[in-house]
Amino acid sequence: MIRIEHLSKSFSGQVVLDDINFEVQKGEILVILGGSGTGKSVLLKSMMGLVRPDSGKIWIDGKEITQFSEKELLKVHKGIGYLFQEGALYDFMNVFENIAFPLQEHTDLDKPDIEAKVKKVLEVVDLAGIEGKYPSELSGGMKKRVGLARSIILGSKILFCDEPTSGLDPIRSRDISNLIRDISKGLKCTTVITSHDIRNAFRIADRSVLIRNGKIIAMGTQAQMEASSDIFVQSFIQ
Amino acid sequence: MALIRFIAHSIAELGNALCFLGDIVRNILRGRIRYGEVLRQMYEQGVQSLMIIVLTSFATGAVLAIQGAVTLTRFGAKEYIAQMVAWSLVREMSPVFTAIIFSAKAGARITAELGTMNVNDQMLATRALGVDPIEYLIVPRVIACFLVLPILTVVSEIVGITGGYLVGVFEANIPSAFYINQTLRAIRYVDFFSGFAKVFFFSVLVSWICCYQGFVTRGGSLGVGKFTTKAVAYSIIIVILSNTILTKIMIMFWG
Ligand SMILES: Nc1ncnc2c1ncn2[C@@H]1O[C@H](COP(=O)(O)OP(=O)(O)O)[C@@H](O)[C@H]1O
Ligand SMILES: [Mg+2]
Repeated sequence: MIRIEHLSKSFSGQVVLDDINFEVQKGEILVILGGSGTGKSVLLKSMMGLVRPDSGKIWIDGKEITQFSEKELLKVHKGIGYLFQEGALYDFMNVFENIAFPLQEHTDLDKPDIEAKVKKVLEVVDLAGIEGKYPSELSGGMKKRVGLARSIILGSKILFCDEPTSGLDPIRSRDISNLIRDISKGLKCTTVITSHDIRNAFRIADRSVLIRNGKIIAMGTQAQMEASSDIFVQSFIQ
Repeated sequence: MALIRFIAHSIAELGNALCFLGDIVRNILRGRIRYGEVLRQMYEQGVQSLMIIVLTSFATGAVLAIQGAVTLTRFGAKEYIAQMVAWSLVREMSPVFTAIIFSAKAGARITAELGTMNVNDQMLATRALGVDPIEYLIVPRVIACFLVLPILTVVSEIVGITGGYLVGVFEANIPSAFYINQTLRAIRYVDFFSGFAKVFFFSVLVSWICCYQGFVTRGGSLGVGKFTTKAVAYSIIIVILSNTILTKIMIMFWG
C-alpha cells in the first residue's frame, strides 16, 4: 500500500532523514517511534507529499509521488486523512464548518447530508453537540479529536496521524489512541502514526519503526522490538 | 561579503515573491475565484479601515482649508481654497494616505492572519485537505484589496472635501454655493483618474507584499510579529516611493 525507498532529507546541511526504507501493508497500523526532533514529522509530511524529499521514492497506492506536481499532489492529498500535531483547525471557522470543509470542497452533498455526516463523525470521536464551538474554546485533546474527525470525513483509506498523544494526560492519550485504533480498524484504513509515547504506541500498533539520527534502527512487532539486543532500542522501550 | 550576501538574498527573495504573484495571477486568469470569500474579505478589510480613514480624511481636508485660508489670503486669492483642497486631496493626499492607513490596518491584519495560519499548520492543512492555499486564502484577499482600496479612496476624497468645505464656509466665510461650484469645476476627470489610477497600483503592491509576508512567515508567534511589522514597513515605503514615480508618469501623460 505504501512503500518508502532510500528516502533522505536535509535542511540547510542538517541531515534529518538518511536513507529510510520501509513498507506499510494494507489495513496495517504502523507507528513511527523516535525522540522529539528526530524527523518523525518530516517523514510523515514527506509521505503525504507536503515536504519534498532530497532523494528517494515514495509509493502511495501504486503511485510514485515524489515527482508529482503541486496539482497532482492535491489529488493525492484528497485520498489521505492527515491529523496534524495540534489539530490545525481553521480558527475562523467553528467545529461544524471545519469538519464540513472537505465535504464542501470535494463532494456534491447538500446541506442536510453534510449536517448528518458531521453529526455522525462527531459522535464517533465522542464530541457530539459541539458543532457551534470555535477552536479557541476547545482543549488540546478536543482539538485533536475534531482534527481527527475532519481527516476521516471523506472516508479516506489512508490515515496519517502526527503525534496524536503529545501534550495530553495519560488517560486522554490512551483514549485517543484507542479511538484511532477503532476508527482505523473499523474503516480498514492503512494507518501511519508518529509518536514518542511507547506505551500507547505498542498498544495500538501492528508494527513499529524506531528512528534515531535519521535512520531506522529497529522495526517489527512489539515482541520483535522487545527482543532486540540494541542498547538504544532497549533504553527507548523502557 | 556581507553586502554581496545581502544582495543575493534580496534577489532570491524578490524572485520568490514574483513566483508567488505569478501563482496568484494564474489562479485569477483561470477563473479560480471564490466570490463568497472575496465578499467576506472585502467586508473585513473595508470595515476595519473605514472609520480611521474617515477621521483622518476629514482632518486632512480641514487642515488643507485652514492652511489655504492663511496662505491664499496673503495673495488675495482666498476664493481658490476650494480648488486647492480638492486638487490636493484627489491628486495626492487621499490615494496616498488611504493606501498607508490601509497598509497599517488591513495589511497588517492580512499578514498576521496568514502568518498565524502558517505557524499553526493551517496553511499546510489546507494543502493536506486537497485545497490550494493560494486559491482559497490568498486570491480572495488580493481581489478584495483591489476592490476595497479604490472605494475607500473615494470615501476619503468625499469626506476630505467636506472637511475643507466646512472650514471654507464657516471659518473663511466663503459662500457655500460658490465653494461647491468651485470644487466641482476644479476636479476634472483627469485629476480624478490620475489619482485613482495610482490607487490600483497601490492596492496590488500592498496586497502582494502583505500576503507574501504572511505566506512565508516562520518561527512561531515571534515570527508572526516580525513578518507583520516587515509587511507594514515595506508596504508604506513602497507606497510612498512608487507614488513619486507614478506621479511623475501621470503628469508626463496627462499634465
Ligand atoms: N521546514 C524546516 N526547515 C528547517 N528545518 C526543519 C524544518 N522542518 C523540520 N526541521 C528540522 O528537522 C528536524 C526534525 O523535525 P521534526 O520532524 O519536526 O521532528 P519530530 O520527530 O519531533 O517530529 C528538527 O531538527 C527540525 O528543526
Ligand atoms: Mg513532530
